[in-house]
Amino acid sequence: MRKRHTALANAGKYLLLLIGGAVSVMPMIYMLSTSLRPNGALYEFPPHFFPRLSEITFENYQYIFTQEKFYLNFLNSVLVAIITIVLAAFVSTALAYCLARFRFPGRNLLFALVIGMMIIPGTTLIIPQYQLATFFKLTNKLAGLIPFYVAWVIPFSTFMIKSYIEGIPKEYDEAVYADGGSVFTVFFRIILPLSSPAIASVSIFNFLTSWEEFTWAMTVINDNAKRTLPIAISGFFGQHQFTQWGYVFAMSMASLVPVLIVFICCQKFFVSGLQAGGLKG
Amino acid sequence: MQLRSRRDKLQFSALLLPGILVFALFTIYPIVKLFGMSFLRWDLGSMFDKSFAGFDNYRAVLSDKTFRIAFENTLIYTFVTVPGQMILGLFAAVLIHSIPRFRVTFRVIYYIPVITSWVIVSLVFRYIFNTEGMLNYLLTNVLHLTAKNVAWLNTRWGGMTVVMLLGIWKGVGWNLVVFLAALQSVPNELYEAAEVDGCGSVNKFFSITLPSIKPAILFALVMLTIGGFNVFTSIKMITDGKPMHQTETVLTWMYYKAFSAGQFGYAAALSFIVAVTLMILAFLQFKAMKNQNE
Repeated sequence: MRKRHTALANAGKYLLLLIGGAVSVMPMIYMLSTSLRPNGALYEFPPHFFPRLSEITFENYQYIFTQEKFYLNFLNSVLVAIITIVLAAFVSTALAYCLARFRFPGRNLLFALVIGMMIIPGTTLIIPQYQLATFFKLTNKLAGLIPFYVAWVIPFSTFMIKSYIEGIPKEYDEAVYADGGSVFTVFFRIILPLSSPAIASVSIFNFLTSWEEFTWAMTVINDNAKRTLPIAISGFFGQHQFTQWGYVFAMSMASLVPVLIVFICCQKFFVSGLQAGGLKG
Repeated sequence: MQLRSRRDKLQFSALLLPGILVFALFTIYPIVKLFGMSFLRWDLGSMFDKSFAGFDNYRAVLSDKTFRIAFENTLIYTFVTVPGQMILGLFAAVLIHSIPRFRVTFRVIYYIPVITSWVIVSLVFRYIFNTEGMLNYLLTNVLHLTAKNVAWLNTRWGGMTVVMLLGIWKGVGWNLVVFLAALQSVPNELYEAAEVDGCGSVNKFFSITLPSIKPAILFALVMLTIGGFNVFTSIKMITDGKPMHQTETVLTWMYYKAFSAGQFGYAAALSFIVAVTLMILAFLQFKAMKNQNE
């Protein structure tokens, strides 16, 4: 009796979870299905969720993939993301190591700033940052995106990596110093390798931040060839004129697939970063 | 750790310096600059360029009707989407925690909206909620709930509803992951003891589960409140503030004032008000967290 009750309860739970799961992915499936239909037939009546088999076409993808601009935009996004990740990983780990292991004047102030910058919305600083970009002649260049992305992700990255480094026993450091090692030896031989799970986890978040960043890229970049994917996608979407949804969604799919691949490969790291935050509070 | 040798001091400085430089140049300097700007008369094409304005900009922001609407919209967005995502996320986490198989599969599926970029999901929602779109077809022609198509994006509350639904839908997976981790760390003995005492499952949830995962709840609350105030891309892509600036949020209105209207002094004062409001809110939440832990 009790067993049957549990089985029934479990069936109910799976049903609820399946409904929730369907709602979670439905918009993406709708996007995929729309991208596989001819551009002209998109607002037909009645609309249908899945394309008819006879209707399926790759013309939207053909159009996107024969545009030289698309490859440029894609490459720009990849380049900006990779450089941002590498720079942010190095700068935040070094900063986190200094904050976690040493007492120095201004340390508390620095840490307060790290926390404070996690709270203030980055967009509020967009005017002075835009002036800064203009001053350094960084507008309309990919180099105008990278330093600002790095600056935005550093607070969260530093915070996460610092709490991870604090869990590494100090005896390791002391052993290195006792053997005549230096601060660099500890950093490169102990801290960097041992905190690599935390670095990997924040790097994935930093990849997402850079890959999807919209506001700043829209503000700083005007040149078509210098645009990253989010701006290129939104460019297909005309606020006032006719929107070619087929192209919009084909391009969206092309930008979503790399993220899905990274997500499925590195699922473990996605989760571990969040868990640390939730458990420590 | 004490730095003994000169070499160690140099190496320590070399590690600290890049971080400090990036901070000083790209955040501290802009904050100071922003603060200064908020006291200047600084409109594109005005003849009183960059003269001292005292608190005029702040006064202008606080007496501006559109700012009040934008502030209201931001607060409503935050107060609706934050509990919305948390409750649904927690519910899903409890369900997933209690099933024997496919936990990871469900977690992955629910997380997909989180990793999909705001630009993309905003466009999909705009497409679905279009007046001739799929949702109206379902409501009008299939379910017969409405007599004619709803023009979702033509009214303030229609537009806000779409943006808030998107905010909740996109955030559930994040909450799920945070809460699932917390649930897994609650010791099983607590539940067993409660069962001996004859507690039902609802009772167990409120007397054991909720208090045990309080750190995760407060963490989510602080992070999501910050996220709520950051709402920008979805508004920009879905309503763009229309109709008549009725669906602006504080940041989209600031952006409009700076980059479309060229009123930099006004926009700087607005930015400062938003930053300070959020600092106070976060501080209160941190304080509440501390009091509860004691």
